[in-house]
Amino acid sequence: MQRSRARSIAIWTVVAIVGAVAWAVVALVRGEQISAAWLIFAALASYAIAYRFYARFIVRRVLEVDDKRATPAERLDNGIDYQPTDRRVLFGHHFAAIAGAGPLVGPVLAAQMGYLPGTIWIIVGVIFAGAVQDMVILFFSMRRDGKSLGQMARDEIGPVGGVAALLAVFSIMIILLAVLALVVVNALAESPWGTFSLAMTIPIALFMGFYLRVIRPGRVLETTAIGVTLLLLAIIAGGFVQDSGLADAFTLSPEAIAFCLIAYGFVASVLPVWMLLAPRDYLSTFMKIGVIALLAVGIIVTLPVMQNEAVTKFASSGEGPVFAGALFPFVFITIACGALSGFHSLIASGTTPKMIEKESQVRIIGYGAMLTESFVAVMAIIAASIIEPGLYYAMNTPAGVLGDSVQSASQAVNGLGFQITPGELSAAAAAVDEETLVARTGGAPTLAIGMSEIFAGATAESLKAFWYHFAIMFEALFILTTVDAGTRVGRFMLQDTLGNVYKPFARVSWKPGLWLTSALVVGAWGYFLYAGVTNPLGGINQLFPLFGIANQLLAAVALTVATTLLIKAGKLKWAWVTGIPLAWDAAVTLTASYQKVFSDVPTLGFFAQRDRFQEALDNGEVLAPAQSLDDMQAVVTNSTVDGILAALFAVLIIVVIADAARVWVKAIRAREPLPTTETPPEESHLVAPSGLFPTAEERAMLAGANGGAARFGRDGARQPERTGR
Amino acid sequence: MTLREAMSGVRWYLREVAGETAYDRYVEHARREHPGEPVMSRRDFERWRQDDRNANPRARCC
Repeated sequence: MQRSRARSIAIWTVVAIVGAVAWAVVALVRGEQISAAWLIFAALASYAIAYRFYARFIVRRVLEVDDKRATPAERLDNGIDYQPTDRRVLFGHHFAAIAGAGPLVGPVLAAQMGYLPGTIWIIVGVIFAGAVQDMVILFFSMRRDGKSLGQMARDEIGPVGGVAALLAVFSIMIILLAVLALVVVNALAESPWGTFSLAMTIPIALFMGFYLRVIRPGRVLETTAIGVTLLLLAIIAGGFVQDSGLADAFTLSPEAIAFCLIAYGFVASVLPVWMLLAPRDYLSTFMKIGVIALLAVGIIVTLPVMQNEAVTKFASSGEGPVFAGALFPFVFITIACGALSGFHSLIASGTTPKMIEKESQVRIIGYGAMLTESFVAVMAIIAASIIEPGLYYAMNTPAGVLGDSVQSASQAVNGLGFQITPGELSAAAAAVDEETLVARTGGAPTLAIGMSEIFAGATAESLKAFWYHFAIMFEALFILTTVDAGTRVGRFMLQDTLGNVYKPFARVSWKPGLWLTSALVVGAWGYFLYAGVTNPLGGINQLFPLFGIANQLLAAVALTVATTLLIKAGKLKWAWVTGIPLAWDAAVTLTASYQKVFSDVPTLGFFAQRDRFQEALDNGEVLAPAQSLDDMQAVVTNSTVDGILAALFAVLIIVVIADAARVWVKAIRAREPLPTTETPPEESHLVAPSGLFPTAEERAMLAGANGGAARFGRDGARQPERTGR
Repeated sequence: MTLREAMSGVRWYLREVAGETAYDRYVEHARREHPGEPVMSRRDFERWRQDDRNANPRARCC
């Protein structure tokens, strides 16, 4: 025992030293380019220490998990949604549900402030806020048989908080779908290769759906293998399509792609799941895990050097072209997924809590999966930072600023203080077989360039165009999966709500209701998508901050619910665990909303922008980058709508926190903890390890519990056995 | 760990994650909890499971 303790101290000392050295290099080296390896070391060492010490502290002292207490999966096991699931398998499910395009896109945009602020926020934010939120919500939902965040907000805070939470969930869904769809539009516009490959995913998914439904029911792996093969063929075929007479048919304007996506979203929401959504989900999940693993290997093999500055001048001036505003609060808004993402609380209070075997496993599943997502975000910021800064700004500055030629773009980038010649810009586009890379905003194309450099470095330079379109395809693929699934969830919420007014709506299969609610949800995000596509000021520039604010607003709701539950349970002394992230998140989100609403700098404040363009419009003038009076009118309308939304989000946060504060005061004044809403404890008869690897003690218990005779799984140690029956 | 064990571990994991083992689990559950009652065929079970997702959509994050 003494020896293993000494060994443990030695190991953690080494990890701490590696982490400290890596952080020192990342943070302090100036005027010299550093290797991406330092960011990787800093991240991994920090995660390890946080998981070992902070997460364990929260699990043991704050939440007081109890493995003698049966989880809902054990108590309510019905072989369907409630079902004890191996921790490693559940980790896979949970990670696939939380990670998507978010952790890839946000960090790319935030690279305009330099790689340092984003990296610090991704790592520190996940340790103290994001992973804590995911784990704590997972735990509280698990103790309540898998209640959703909305239900917990209603039960713990009250009807006002509940309604505010519901509104927050719905509005984030709409903005999220619009912004993600906008990323796809910007990645595919005028690119026949990308458009063809992505279009092919629809017949591929339909075929997979049919195969899985009729030919080989349940053979998911085989179907997915066929699907992935077809997908790779579609990417290769895209290169030939681009050079053939078919190219014109797949060269679409941004507006045309937006309308295609809107139509697709509606159809996908109305069709049964098995046709399109389920096969697409398998495809994108396996692609996602595969590409993330590939990226990690690529970065470790090539160890690229950072070209981006550690901190750019835009961090303090707030005049960056990608999005307006200074480092505080906008880095913390732009990078949501990967550091702190409110959306995760919906997943952590959805299917995951119903499948967990042992209470202590919330640490590996809630905290661990979020650390993994954070690592994806670190890789994204690396991929965006190994690109020449000149190219980065030529790709991410709105089209209105850059103009439509490589010459004008080169000039505009020089005006920002970075260098790229028209020749270099054309060469960069030619290297990936694209018409142009100018103003390819949204993050996906930039990430694809970074990834193609890493992958081409690890394979062959001649494969660069293939890797670029591979990366574009995989991002677009899982964004579309999110759009499918999100539209459906939004539609359900609407059906449920309208069902209170007119009964038939609540019946999910009632066709008129199905069509109407689908149209409403698609119409809502479609509106923002179209407004973003046609916005002369750049859709990403205008909408991305709103998406960030909405996501952090949802995080504020989740952290408020968690803090309330801690205080109600008489754990006021531990309330800081979720209270400090809540205070930080509220400060960030409210400052950002305040600036977006009240700032008198037109690029930053929506209403200042509105006034500036309205005034010019009244005088019949056209202000750049608008090119016509119609453009002017569009800017005025968009600014007004966006400004109102920003204000609405701020009000929602204040309402939720104020309403919760009322409950906090009541709970603190009460002598005893307030009555609990937990399901009463029942004794557990399940044996399962709590961490990734079973400890010696757990091994002995497993052996004793099942005598090596497992019903499922590979062997006795891998599958828990019911002993009480 | 031998290569063979590693491969079977990967196979076990992929099958579990993809949900290919859901049917085996269902059969085991049905026999244990409701003995004597009819058990769905794999085709019926997979259909029923897919259609259940129509009614209970799962969100995917960003």
